[in-house]
Amino acid sequence: MNPRMLAALVWKDIILFFKNRFFAFISIIGLVAYIAIYFTMPNTVDETLELAWFGPQLPGMVVSELQEDGLELRNYPSEEALQEAVLSGEDPVGVAMPQDFLEQLSRGDKPPVRIYFKTDVPDEYRAAYTLFLEELGFELTGNTLNIESEEVVLGPDMAGHQVPPRQRMLPLITVFILMIETWGLAALISAEIEAGTLRALLTTPLTIPGLFASKGFTGVFMAFTQVVVLLLITGGLRTEPLLVLTALLLGAFLVTGISFLIASVAGDMMSVMAWGMLALIVLAIPAFNLLLPGLTTDWIKILPSYYLVDIVYRVLNFGAGWSQASSGLLTLLAFGLVFFVLGAYALRRKLQ
Amino acid sequence: MIKAQNLFYSYSKTNQYQVNDVSFEVKDGEIFGFLGPNGAGKSTIVKMLTGQLKPKQGSASVLGLDVARKPKQVQAQVGICFEITNLYEDLSAAANLNLFARLFNIKDFDAEALLERVGLGGRGRDLVSSYSKGMKQRLMVARALLNRPQVLFLDEPTDGLDPVSSDAIRRIILEERQRGATVFLTTHDMLEADKLCDRVAFINQGQIAAIDTPHALKQKYGRRSLKAQVAGPEGRLELREIPLDDGNSAAAVTELFTQEKVITLHSEEATLEDIFIQITGRGLA
Repeated sequence: MNPRMLAALVWKDIILFFKNRFFAFISIIGLVAYIAIYFTMPNTVDETLELAWFGPQLPGMVVSELQEDGLELRNYPSEEALQEAVLSGEDPVGVAMPQDFLEQLSRGDKPPVRIYFKTDVPDEYRAAYTLFLEELGFELTGNTLNIESEEVVLGPDMAGHQVPPRQRMLPLITVFILMIETWGLAALISAEIEAGTLRALLTTPLTIPGLFASKGFTGVFMAFTQVVVLLLITGGLRTEPLLVLTALLLGAFLVTGISFLIASVAGDMMSVMAWGMLALIVLAIPAFNLLLPGLTTDWIKILPSYYLVDIVYRVLNFGAGWSQASSGLLTLLAFGLVFFVLGAYALRRKLQ
Repeated sequence: MIKAQNLFYSYSKTNQYQVNDVSFEVKDGEIFGFLGPNGAGKSTIVKMLTGQLKPKQGSASVLGLDVARKPKQVQAQVGICFEITNLYEDLSAAANLNLFARLFNIKDFDAEALLERVGLGGRGRDLVSSYSKGMKQRLMVARALLNRPQVLFLDEPTDGLDPVSSDAIRRIILEERQRGATVFLTTHDMLEADKLCDRVAFINQGQIAAIDTPHALKQKYGRRSLKAQVAGPEGRLELREIPLDDGNSAAAVTELFTQEKVITLHSEEATLEDIFIQITGRGLA
């Protein structure tokens, strides 16, 4: 296939894509909306842990030590006021101590301490707070544990530099944009099969590999262009731009293969939407995992989008370089090739 | 120009054939009609001749090229007008033609001149979706002509069209023959085939039932007769038929005129449809 043929086919596909008002609308409006969502998300993370407090005034040294550790005590005038604050959700946890708490401690008594939790505080958090208060009581009696502890952070120390929500959101938006283009390309191919125009194209000197090359080029171009625009506007290309662009290009290649598969199983626009939604949900899981850490386990590594999300996230937020991303890039390329070949094979069978 | 040898094709795994042992040749510059009812296997044969399907058995060659081995070389030199309208409806007529011209690597292509030729001059910038069925069909023919094909495959080109569009397409077919192209015309319109084709083949249930010139088929299978309307009792019209192919025709005509009052008299020869029914035992519907 010569470049003139390729250009004619790609141009035709782009015109037809934008003639489809639905895809033209969700592509352009979607991109604008995603960028708006990104900028409305918080750019900082409040790392202070607040604790409702009713009890005696703690020694100044202890208070400042707690503040250094990111714990802010909110004093309440009565235990009832504290309970109300926890019940209303204003504070998730509250601690009530007797006013002579310190005296009781110094006498060697066991002062009662009540810890109030909101109903949805998980068990692990309850245990952690209880342990913290026992530790606090131990410290207030003037004792220290007979151990020497050292803090060692594996990987970049993010204390005070937590990844803000908008940066966690960016990989999810990237996957969304890529998948919307998957719908668009799959719908375009499906419509061409239905109308018989692909059959007309294939009775010219255009070969099936040539046709797939043109569709692949269109799909990669459309998807890649949009995510590049997104990252340009959101500043996602400030760190390791070449690495990020490579990951996005491979991601666009991957979703093009997926769109071939969808087009081969879908009969019309509605089934393209249904299959596309299924693919979107599955491929978005790794990105949701960044928003809600702990949502999944290692099994998400079998999802091809994991490698795209992981590379984009680590490069943008932790400054990962080529050496850290190379294995992910290779895996992404391998997934892209597998899906492209599978999609092209399935589509070829359908065309024949 | 076109040669089919023992073509066999089956869409099912049980080898229930769609096309079975079909052989024929089409000469250079000929208009060859391929006639048969829906589902007879016409389109499957055309697909094998144009490289869209590989025969399960047998072979096909077009312009001396084995179609199964060199489909792209064949497709570069033929024009195909499909039975279904498969145009880009959201593009203009000119954009449709320009796209295909690029695929055929035609430089300095003049879409407007070709549109003019099929009677669509001045409508090139209109979207195809705004065209009538007849206009779309003429555009399909134009698309099939843009590479100046040596062989033109036309699948039901006038099916369901108004008389003006049908005539326009028939005129183009004759012009193409004059240019030197070979035309392979698939149709179930026997009158059209009779008007246009140098030779016709009847296909029925995936097999060739007969192949010859329309005239020869009529001679071989048709019955000629005279049909007369005569005045009967109480002024009613009655029909009389005198076969012309037996030895008593002259005496029967004399008798008719001496004994009856002849109101009208017509000679009648068999149509291709009559012959098709006679040969295959079924109609074209």
